[in-house]
Amino acid sequence: MKLLKLSRRAMLAAGAATALALSPLLAQAQTPEDVLIVGQIAEPKALDPAAVTAVNDFRILMNVYDGLVRYKDGTLEVEPSLANSWDISEDGTVYTFSLRDDVTFHDGSAFNADAVKFNFDRMLDENHPYHNTGPFPLSFFFSAVENVEVVNDLTVRFTLNAPYAPFLSNLAYPTGLIVSPAAVEQHGAEFGRNPSGTGAFKFAEWRSNEAVVIEANADYWDGAPELQAVVFRPITDANTRTAEMLAGGIDLMVEVPPVALSEFQGDTYTIHEQAGPHVWFLILNAKEGPFADVRVRQAANYAINKEAIVNDVLEGTAAVAAGPTPPAFAWAYNESLEPYPYDPDKARELLAEAGAEGAELTFYVTEGGSGMLDPVAMGTAIQADLQSVGLTVNIETYEWNTFLGEVNPGLEGKADMAEMAWMTNDPDTLPFLALRTASWPDQGGFNSGYYSNPKVDELLEAARAATDQTERARLYQEMQVIVQEDAPWVFVANWKQNAVTSDRVENFSLQPSFFLLLDDVVKN
Amino acid sequence: MTGYILKRLVSAIPVLFGISIIVFVIMAMIPGDPATAILGSYATPDNVEKLNRDLGLDKPMVQRYFIWLGNMLQGDFGRSFSLNRAVLDEVLDRFGATLVLAGTAFVLCSLLGVAAGVVSAARQYGLADKAITFAVLLGISIPSFFLGMMMILIFAVKLRWFPVSGMWPIYGARDLSALISHLTLPALALAVVATGVIARLSRSAMLEVLRQDFIRTARAKGVHERSVVWRHALRAAMVSIIPVLGVQAGFVLSGAVYIEMVFQWPGVGRMLVDAILKRDILLVQGGVVFVAACYVMFNIAVDVAQSLLDPRIKT
Repeated sequence: MKLLKLSRRAMLAAGAATALALSPLLAQAQTPEDVLIVGQIAEPKALDPAAVTAVNDFRILMNVYDGLVRYKDGTLEVEPSLANSWDISEDGTVYTFSLRDDVTFHDGSAFNADAVKFNFDRMLDENHPYHNTGPFPLSFFFSAVENVEVVNDLTVRFTLNAPYAPFLSNLAYPTGLIVSPAAVEQHGAEFGRNPSGTGAFKFAEWRSNEAVVIEANADYWDGAPELQAVVFRPITDANTRTAEMLAGGIDLMVEVPPVALSEFQGDTYTIHEQAGPHVWFLILNAKEGPFADVRVRQAANYAINKEAIVNDVLEGTAAVAAGPTPPAFAWAYNESLEPYPYDPDKARELLAEAGAEGAELTFYVTEGGSGMLDPVAMGTAIQADLQSVGLTVNIETYEWNTFLGEVNPGLEGKADMAEMAWMTNDPDTLPFLALRTASWPDQGGFNSGYYSNPKVDELLEAARAATDQTERARLYQEMQVIVQEDAPWVFVANWKQNAVTSDRVENFSLQPSFFLLLDDVVKN
Repeated sequence: MTGYILKRLVSAIPVLFGISIIVFVIMAMIPGDPATAILGSYATPDNVEKLNRDLGLDKPMVQRYFIWLGNMLQGDFGRSFSLNRAVLDEVLDRFGATLVLAGTAFVLCSLLGVAAGVVSAARQYGLADKAITFAVLLGISIPSFFLGMMMILIFAVKLRWFPVSGMWPIYGARDLSALISHLTLPALALAVVATGVIARLSRSAMLEVLRQDFIRTARAKGVHERSVVWRHALRAAMVSIIPVLGVQAGFVLSGAVYIEMVFQWPGVGRMLVDAILKRDILLVQGGVVFVAACYVMFNIAVDVAQSLLDPRIKT
């Protein structure tokens, strides 16, 4: 008896001691005023815009750096930033930028034409003394640049090897952000952890696996930000991220899982949504097998219930895609395009016409991956829809990197269809890399389904060479109609990026570019 | 004794050598390469080839292995592709965090497990025994990641007694009380299963001892029951409990991977999971070799300690 008594007493004492020790901690501190805490999906790789590829890293970079140009608020159209204005030569190969004269880098060094030249030479010229601070995986965004010349202190001239219409848009992309040459010279390979730019916030601190802290740049040329500081916390697990948001540990959460959205109904939180330049599609193998027949490809587009996928599987976090170009590229999007309706009877009819009833298909599905949304559940829904019109679909599932290794070299001899998703910054990128005859995998492109239509090739080449936006828009819109009819892909969904903010956060909005711009955000 | 330690250290060399080969070959064989992981959708054959060249991955496998091994022997574990940081810095940072978490959980499960086992055994088939046995069975059966999530939901989200995740507060002092408040939930979640296992084995070890003659003698001499159980019996039972603790230490360390994911603890387990998904070859290789070396050292230390404590073990 004594034993039990003692242990009971001991336990009580221990419990009381613990409670006492923890009592000052029990009242969870609220996050400080004017400091925005952002729940990120991963630890950034580096804060060197030329060295990174992930949207997760871009979310920080866009607040620390500026490019020569940027996207106008709420659009994917280019406006001046570090460059006041620019001229494009008649043939579209020479771009001359005049630069702002009131900009300095966070480290105090001056922003000028030499700094711009340094940035692009570092990325593109293998003999540049700081080329070894790479690798620069997305430098091919600027592979058209032949040379960069300093005309005078505030004028810089880019000469391209051929007309390349997406050039300005690529300059607005994070790969085109301008870093401080002095900081690169000082820190070398460690620059990615000691960044210096011209942006609204300057880098303060990076605590590995805990937080990246950036502080307001009071001298920002475009007006000092409202916030004092922003803290980016890497929280890789989506459930934990949701829990942090609910517990008040973060003020802003990006990439909310569809199933968690219901947690944030009510006045305490605001859910933000923004359609972005994203398209989720199925690559169909047009070279061999049933999908070599355009009628079977169209049948697949009719047979799949895209409404059900975006509403039920994705809980409304995406919209049905009509064609290869996302509506977020407003100026280049063909408004008259209607998505293939869900019409299983029409699908059966087309299959019968093509003699493809009961065909057996191999379908590559990925387990996850950038922009892939909920690929297994979506793949299963697609399989069921195709089964119900009489096609037998065998799913093969791969981990993302393995999946890319299987799909990018082409589907020939392996599969009839594969999931894929792209996020791009210019309407040129995806179709140019994935729909032209010259982009078949053996030629280094991503046309893994071997679609080929000379008219589409011609339109895309012409659009890339055109410098007039209205002319480009017309070419892209014509391309979209043809591609939709030819159905090299099943056009499934356009993702709406989402975020949740607490009621202390104001003036926040998501951008169609998927970048996170925080210079106007207020926290009470 | 020195000779014994030296002998054990020398015998560790081929083990570590073998581990380095295994992890290198596995990383080289799994599909997908770092360049594909970095480039994502932009992984054209040209881009992949160029990036692999920049990353030094275009050389033949055998040559790459010896370059890596040679550098590592000189203390250079290379640079992580995905974190752009020296592998050794990252691994040391992360391993420290894991040690704090797993160490606390280990102390917790040892104390609680042994105490529960002793109480259970002392009051065999009594109410306390039944309650403890039930709790232990429950603890062993709950997957730790699920328990962790439930703890977050109740104690962090609903009651707000503890922070949800991380090791340190984002703002405020990084002192002991801050660490304890961050550590409590993950350490408990990690300790639960091991506590159950230790409690069950301690109970049977104690029952075994309590039946022995010297206990009856002690009782007959009028030794206080508390003293009989906690001093005489427990000391004898520890001989069979200690090896269990050794096994559970390894279990806690490997179980930390799940807990680190759920609580976003910046430990080495989460680091390895992230690194594998990103095909961060050097970080995986360096991390595995480092952790393996620590295991080997730990085992040697345990053996040496045991031989010091128990003269029957030949050195």
